[in-house]
Order: sequence, then C-alpha cells, then structure tokens
Amino acid sequence: MIAGLPLVLLLLAADPPDGGAAASRKLPDYLEELFQEKGDDGRPVLSAEDRARLEALPEHTVQLIAEKMDALTVSGAPHLKRLLSLDLSPQLAELVFQDNCIVCHTDAEAQKKQNLFSPDPKADGSPAHLSLKDVVSDVHFRKGLSCSGCHGGSPAAPRMTADIAARWPKKEDRQKGRAWVVDFCGRCHADPSFMRGFNPGLPTDQVAKLKESQHGLLLLQKGDPKAAQCVSCHGVHGILRASSPRSTVNAARVPETCGHCHADAKYMAGYTRADGSPLPTDQLERFKASVHGKALLEKGDTGAPACNDCHGNHAAQPPQVASVAQVCRTCHAQNGALFDGSRHKLAFEKHGWPECGQCHGHHDIQRPTDALISEAPDGLCGSCHREHAADHPECNQGAAYFRATIGELAASHRSLEPRIERFAELGLDVEPILASSAELEEGLIQSRARIHAFDRGGFDVAAAPARAAVQKTEALLAAAEQERRFRRNGLLGAIGAGGLLALALWLKIRQIDRRRRDQGT
Amino acid sequence: MTAPDRTAPPTPTRRSVIDWLIGLGFTGWFASVVYPVVRYLAPLSGSAGGAVRLSAEDVAKLDRGQFTIVRSGDARVIVLQVDGALRALDAKCTHEGCTVQFVPGERVVWCACHNGRFDLEGRVLAGPPPRPLGKWIATREADGGVVVTRGKA
Amino acid sequence: MSEGRRGRVLDWLDARYGLRPLLEFLKHKEVPRGGHSLVWYYLGGTTLFFFATQIASGVLLLMYYQPGETTSYESIRYLTTKVPFGWLIRSVHCWSAHLMIVSLVAHMFSTLMLKAYRPPRELTWVSGFLLFAVALGFGFSGYLLPWNELAFFATSVGTDSVKGVPLVGQWLLEVMRGGQDVSINTLYRFFALHVVVLPLTAIAIIGLHLLFIQRQGMAPPMAHQRQATPRQGLKFFPDFFLRDLLLWLLCLTALVTLVFLMPYGPRIPGIDWELGKKANPLAPAYPGIKPEWYFLWIYQLLKEFPPHLFGVEGPQMALALVTVLLLTWAVVPWLDRRAVREQPSPAFNDLGVAALLFIGFLTLKAWDIGGLRPGQTGLPDAAASARACAFIVLGAGAAVTGLRFALARHRWFALSGAALLQVALHGLAGVGYLTAGAISVALAAAAIAALRRRPPKEVAAP
Repeated sequence: MIAGLPLVLLLLAADPPDGGAAASRKLPDYLEELFQEKGDDGRPVLSAEDRARLEALPEHTVQLIAEKMDALTVSGAPHLKRLLSLDLSPQLAELVFQDNCIVCHTDAEAQKKQNLFSPDPKADGSPAHLSLKDVVSDVHFRKGLSCSGCHGGSPAAPRMTADIAARWPKKEDRQKGRAWVVDFCGRCHADPSFMRGFNPGLPTDQVAKLKESQHGLLLLQKGDPKAAQCVSCHGVHGILRASSPRSTVNAARVPETCGHCHADAKYMAGYTRADGSPLPTDQLERFKASVHGKALLEKGDTGAPACNDCHGNHAAQPPQVASVAQVCRTCHAQNGALFDGSRHKLAFEKHGWPECGQCHGHHDIQRPTDALISEAPDGLCGSCHREHAADHPECNQGAAYFRATIGELAASHRSLEPRIERFAELGLDVEPILASSAELEEGLIQSRARIHAFDRGGFDVAAAPARAAVQKTEALLAAAEQERRFRRNGLLGAIGAGGLLALALWLKIRQIDRRRRDQGT
Repeated sequence: MTAPDRTAPPTPTRRSVIDWLIGLGFTGWFASVVYPVVRYLAPLSGSAGGAVRLSAEDVAKLDRGQFTIVRSGDARVIVLQVDGALRALDAKCTHEGCTVQFVPGERVVWCACHNGRFDLEGRVLAGPPPRPLGKWIATREADGGVVVTRGKA
Repeated sequence: MSEGRRGRVLDWLDARYGLRPLLEFLKHKEVPRGGHSLVWYYLGGTTLFFFATQIASGVLLLMYYQPGETTSYESIRYLTTKVPFGWLIRSVHCWSAHLMIVSLVAHMFSTLMLKAYRPPRELTWVSGFLLFAVALGFGFSGYLLPWNELAFFATSVGTDSVKGVPLVGQWLLEVMRGGQDVSINTLYRFFALHVVVLPLTAIAIIGLHLLFIQRQGMAPPMAHQRQATPRQGLKFFPDFFLRDLLLWLLCLTALVTLVFLMPYGPRIPGIDWELGKKANPLAPAYPGIKPEWYFLWIYQLLKEFPPHLFGVEGPQMALALVTVLLLTWAVVPWLDRRAVREQPSPAFNDLGVAALLFIGFLTLKAWDIGGLRPGQTGLPDAAASARACAFIVLGAGAAVTGLRFALARHRWFALSGAALLQVALHGLAGVGYLTAGAISVALAAAAIAALRRRPPKEVAAP
C-alpha cells in the first residue's frame, strides 16, 4: 500500500502536460500579445489549437505573419484565427500570407460582406464564390498566379490602389453580358507561348473551339448571358485540374456540371432545337439511369462516356446524326464494323437516322437484352420493318431467325447450370461439360454481337459454333446421365448381391442356433 | 419304433438349401466386388496412335543417314531414310518385343535380342521372329518436316 | 466339402506343424455373454474390417497415385475422372477412414464402460491406445496426399501446433515439414509415413493386440453385471464369427451406399474431400479452414489459450494439457483401483461420459456452430457460438444423465457434472473457457473429496 504511493506520484509526474512534449516556442512579441486578446464573451479568441498551428509553421513564415501584423494587414486575433483555421501546409501558408490581397480580403472587420473571403461563406453571409478554402486549392493560386494575375495590381501592395482594378472590367461592363469572360480567360489560355511556361501539355485551343460551339454561338453572336462560358463549368476561384476528383470537370462530375443548366427546366425554357421543338431537360436523369451513367457515376468507371465524350467539351454541339455513331465506335468497335457492312447502314443513311442511337437510344442506353429483338410490341425490329420495310418480308424473317436462334441458345445455356451442378454433386467428372458450356457462352456472346451484321450469313458465323457447342454439351450431359444410371444400377446390384448373402448368413446363423438348442448346448 | 437317432446327420435338404444360398450369395457378392477392381486395374486403352510429326532433331538424324525411333500412342515406330526414300516400320520385334535397330551398311533392320533380321519392307530374313514388322507411312512435307502415319495392316 | 477330404488335408498339416492344439483352441474359443454387453464385442471387429478395407483400397490407389509437385493432384484427378471405378476406390478409401475412426472410438469407449482393461488386460488397453494414435497419424498423413488447397492449409495449421513442444518444438516442426513451411517435401515424408511406416506399425500393434486377446480370451463383463446363472459364452467359431461376417457385410454395404449418395463426404468442414483446387503455397489461407474432425477439439483448445499464461506460452500450455489428458487416458487400467477388485467403478463410467462431453463441446465450437448467421461472411461470433454449442451440449448432457440415472442406475456424476458446468459457465455466463474449466475442476475435486469422506455403502452392518 505505502509502496504504491511513490508509484502513483511517478505516474502523475510522467504524464505529459497538455499541448505537446517540449515547452512552447517563443513567438514574436506581436503574436504573443494576440494570445491575450479576448473576444466579446470574455474568452481568449485564439485557442491552444491555433497556437499549435502557428508553432507548426517554419520560423520565416511566423516572421512573415508578424510583419503583416506590424503593417496592420493582419488586423487582429479574429483575423488571424480565420486565416489559421484553413490548416494550411507550410508552403501554402507562406503563399497565403505573402499575398496581401487574400490577407486583407479575409478581414471581416475591414471588408464589406460582398468582398469578404471566408473559410465558410455561408456562415459569414458572403458570396459563395468567395470561398477561402476553394481559393487555396485553386490550381492558379498554387501555380503562383494569385488574385493579381486576373484582377491586376500586386500582392505586395499594402492597400487598394487604382491599378488593382485596372485589368478587372468595371461592374457595369461585367454585368452587361458574359462574353468578356471568354476573352479574359483567353488572354492567357489561348496564348501557347505563355501557357508553355506553366503547363506545356495543356491545350490552348479552347477559345477557338468555344467560338464554334453552340454555347459560343449564343454567347458571342447572340449576346445571350445565360450561355455557358469558362466560369460556368470551371468555376472562378476554386478551379482544379480535370484529373482531380473534386474538380467540376472531372469525368465523374461532368454530368452534374452540365446538368447544372441543362437539367434545369426553368433555366432552359425558351431554348429550342433546330427544328423548333423545345430543348429537353431530362438528359441527365436519363443518363443516370443508363448503363453508361451507372458505370461512370456508381461504379466510378472513367472508361464510360460522360456528356463531353459524345458532345465535345469546348466545341460542344448537338451531335450530328453521322458523328455520334463514330463516337460509339471508339469503344464499340466490333459492333460498329459489323454494322458498317450491313444493309441497315444504307437504310439508316437513307432515312437520316443515327446508326447506334436508333435502336439503343442516346442518353438512356440500357444494357441490351434479348427483348430488343423480341416479337413483342416493344421489340424494335417488327415496329420499324412494318412501317419502312413492308415490301421486304425477308427482313422480318431475318429478325425472326435471330430471335429464334438466340432464344434457343440462351434457353439451353440457362438450363445447363443446374444440371451440371447436380452431376458435380454426384461425384461425376464435369470438367469437359464445363468447358463445353463455356464454349456455348462464348458463342452466345458472339452471336448477339453479330446481330449487328443484320445478315443470316454473318450471324451464322457465330451461331453455328454455338449450336455445335449445345450439341456437344447435351451429348456430354447424356453420357453423364448414363454414367449416373450405371453407378446407381451397380449399387443396387451390389446391395442386392450383398443382401442375398446377408440373408443366407442370417439363415445359417439361425440354423446353427436351432441346432445348438436341439442338442442342448 | 425306435427313438429318433440324435447322432444321425440332420436332414440333408434343409442344410444344403441354406448352404447353396450362401454359395450363390457369396458368388454374387464376390463378383460385385471383383468386377470394379478388375476394371480399375485393367490398363486403359492406349491412344489411337495418330499421325506423329518428327522433331527437327529427328529429321536431321534421318538426313544424316541415321535411324530414329518415335512414339505414336503406345506404339514405337522406326523411321529411316535410304536412297532418298523414307521408310517407317513397327519398331517392336515380332519375336519377343525388343526394339529393333537399323544397320545402314547392310540395309537390314536387326533385332539385338535374338539376332532376328528384317529387310527394309519388314519381311523376315533370318532368325526367330515369326511375322514381318508392321508397315507405317512416312511422308516428307513441303516445309521439310516428316510425318508418320499408320499404314495398312 | 466332405469330411474325409478336409480331414486328410488337416492330418497332413498337423503331422508337419502340430495344428491340432490350435484347432482345439479355436473350437473352444468363446465370447463372453452377460447383460447387454454382447453387442459391444463386435466393435473391435468392425474396426479391423474398416482397416482391412483401407489397406485394400489403399493398395489400389497406390497403383495410380504419384507423389510429386506436378503429379500428386493431377494423378488423383486422373484417377477419379478417367480410370474406371477410380472414383469408387478413392471415395471408399475416404469414407472408410472416417468410419474406421468412428468405430475405433466406439470400441474404445465401450471397453472403457465395460472395464475390459482391468487386470490381466492392461496391455490390451495400452496397445489399443497406441492404435488410436496410429489411426490419427494415418488420418493426418493421408489428408495431405491429394495436394489440394484444403489439405495444404489444414496441414499447415496442424503441423504448426508442434511448435509448442518445449525445447525440441522448432526442430520437430522442421523435421515434420521437411523445411520451414509445408512444401512438396512434406508430402514426400507424409507419403512414406502413410504407406510404409504406419502400416507396418499398425500391423505389428494389431498383431500384439489380437495375440493378447487370443491368449487371454475376450474380457467378460464385471462380476456384478453377470447374471446369477452365467450363461455359457457364445462359441467364436462358427456362431460369433458368422455374426461378425454378417455385420461386416452390412458395414460394407453401408459404406458403398454412402459412397454413392455422398461421394465427397457429408460436406461438413473437416469432412469434405472434394478435390477442389490444387495447392498453391503462395495463396492466402481461405477463411473457415479447419483440420479433420477428430483433431478439432485440440485445435479449439489451442485457440482457447491466451498467448501467455502464467509466464508460459499459451500453445505450450495447451499442448501440455492435451498430453496430460491423453496420458491419463492411457494409464486408466492402473488408475481404476475399484475395477481391479471387480467392484463397480462409477468414477470411470463418468470419466467416459465427461470425456465425450468435453470433446463434443470443443468440436462443436470449432465448427462455429451458432456463430455465423446463414450467408454471413467474415469472422464468426465466438460468444454466440459458445452459447449455441452450450445449449446443444447441455441438452445432450441432460439427456444422457437422465438415461444413466433411470436405466443404468448410475449415481456418480462429479466429472460429467464438471464438464457440463464448464460448458454452462463459458457458454451461458460468458466466463472464459479456462477460468470456467478451473472452477469446474476445483468443484469436482471438492465433490470427490467430500464423497470419499462419506462411509462406503458396501460396508456390511456389524
């Protein structure tokens, strides 16, 4: 008991004090004073956490902050707290504190709400695009092109000057239309020699493309401020590389970005297609339910197309009938090649129909099932042939042939698994049957692809081996059934023979017992 | 009437019926045990012995005038080239089954076990072998390779 | 066959080898009769029958099996798919192995209950115990030979446990495995064991075991169990022998039926010999891997020990416990003083029941009974499993105790009670397995001590 007391004391002594192992660093006087400052509620404004953040910064950065304080650029403890709350890495902290624009514009006491950058714009009531968190992760900022790069002036300037707004268009001009944005961004992004200094791999033809696009047409020629320009998709202060998952133009987020306008019925009211019909706004919804949408948005498969893969990015146009099919072919090459050689190609061209889209849809492409070629009213072949190929009965016959063959093969394949499993359970050798079944599966896949040839000969190239595989598998299954029967009969025979012998032995035992009883033993 | 003789053997009919039944039952049971075992132990039928393509080394040997022996299924085949013509024969001597060899200088196929001799057609020239060697067919392919197939019986 | 011909052959042999005494002995050899015990006398024979089946099917398998990195698995696949009736021979071998062990265990427990080990038959019991060990060795070594995934991992887990042997553990492990890890070298050693060493050992010990029985006759039931007017024993030839043959025939028929209905076994983990995938030493062990069912209790017991206990490594302590338990079992003939005196030995009846309950609980728990919801993957819930197994074992234990009390008039339940108490504490009250065991053993010891202090009932009134 008594010996325990020193132990307890030792333990208490070994308990490290709150806030870190070593004694706190001595901060410059200005900063130390800040820690004494108290807020309206009587408690210190800066917490131990803030102290820890400050101490995590290198010496020269802390010196820098002290200088800013001295120059009153950093106005006080609340201001410092806002800047520290970003939890920046030392390099970024250096960038931020060097940039007077950011430092001043985060000062809640000095700025009007509409000019206030804040870590949480909603909480501070400042505009959403003035998010401090966005700005410090912005790719321009990180490359060293901070506020002054667009807005003009110099980050070292201690206060607002005339030349700060020199490059930045006046408010009236800014609100007159949005066409100025394109040239504003293009000032750098359309200049190859300038961009080479930052990212030689980045294309510089965006402005040229945009000018050709539907968005550009509306924006620049018709002066429509609602049309998309650079900022609509890329944002303004939080621009990220497309490869970043948080970027608005990352493959997985593109549908959402485009849908921002195109899925908004109110916003898109009044816009029409070339033939005068109103522009639909259900594309995003359809896309999300489609096989491409599910692959991209739910499974994260960036191989699946987003809006820009078919429509283009900066040169976005409603795709022409001829061009979408070319896009489909970039992934679905085999089906495209089969289609090219088929009679549907000529027929579709004659009617001016999109090749793939006519049967498979555009935004709402679903996984094709055998129902597509079914005879039911929702089957595609019959409905079209009735109207456009009424004088060619062989078309419907062809369709019927595909239907029948695929149906037969699919049914065979479906019936196989339970039977194979049953034989496996019974201990029979199912390896050859599984191999044959795999051949059938392969044949079925190829047959379905070869429908795109719309020709019996082309189709049979795949269907014939599949049918042969069915025959082979059925033969193997029949052989397996025979083997099973053989084994069962063998067992019954063995049990019969054994039973007979057992009966005989039992009778013999009884006989011997009776003899013993009779003999009195 | 004398008392039944206890020491007389029991009635033969009833005893032999059961014994006969045991015998029958045992035979049936024994057959049902032995049949699978015999089938199990029986050697599996050798592969049909289809066409065999000779390896490049074997072809080189033929071109040098040496003989080569290849396997086709369970059979052994001796292949040789004489005067530009390819010949192939069963390599299993018809006497006791030893593997024969070709003696180039004498244009004779010879079996070392008991000095049997065959000519290049497989006919027996001397020694104990009772029957000629089976014939095979060796053909030269366009690419220079050699393929051996089973000949007529 | 006429008497004359048979008689002449026998005379010829007798003149050369003195067979008559042997024949007289065989004619008069008897199997004791008394009480309900005749049934149990067949179990040794069935074990021998299954062993003979193993030898026959094993020799047949040897004609096609080839041990080797690229041939072990492949030769068995070839055997079971291409060779006529190969599937039958292999399945017979696998089924008969399990049936042999079941029969062996039943034989062992019945001799325990009938006290057949009492003098002069102590060494019969010991040789039987050695045969039990040899049978487990057969099972363990044979399991690896197909060189499939299941066998590979089960062997890795199984051989790992010998590390716990003090001093020579690591060396023993490496000798067993033929290296640090299980590899094809392990298979070569196990093959030699399974096909030559163990069969020779088994035949030698069986020879001794049978020799003892022939020399001493089969053990009669205890004096108090024999009826007032003891019946004459059943003649071995031909009466008992014919019954034996009949039973063996029925066993064989049952075996073949099982082979047909369940060619890969009942598909319980540890009793499943579907060939599956070939062993890949680089692949991670798949979850749910278990050794064969007769080793599950040791496997589970090893899991119950913490990594360190009282300064000793857990596995070492576990192995020590298993060794102590098995050695105790081996020397039962010398521990059972009452059976020596032909007096009822309730403690050892109870020991048998307690052993079954103890091993039964551990085996059920090793199978994660009650620990996995259907379709649930991931680690099973040990506590839920302990609970479910506890219910099963307590239920079975209650039933057995009831039957013993009512039918067999047993009144001594200290050891089986301790086993059930441990199960209840661990499974229902959540007490740690070892702690529950310690408590139960302590209480049992106290109960036994108290019982001993009571005056014995048989003391006649003065």
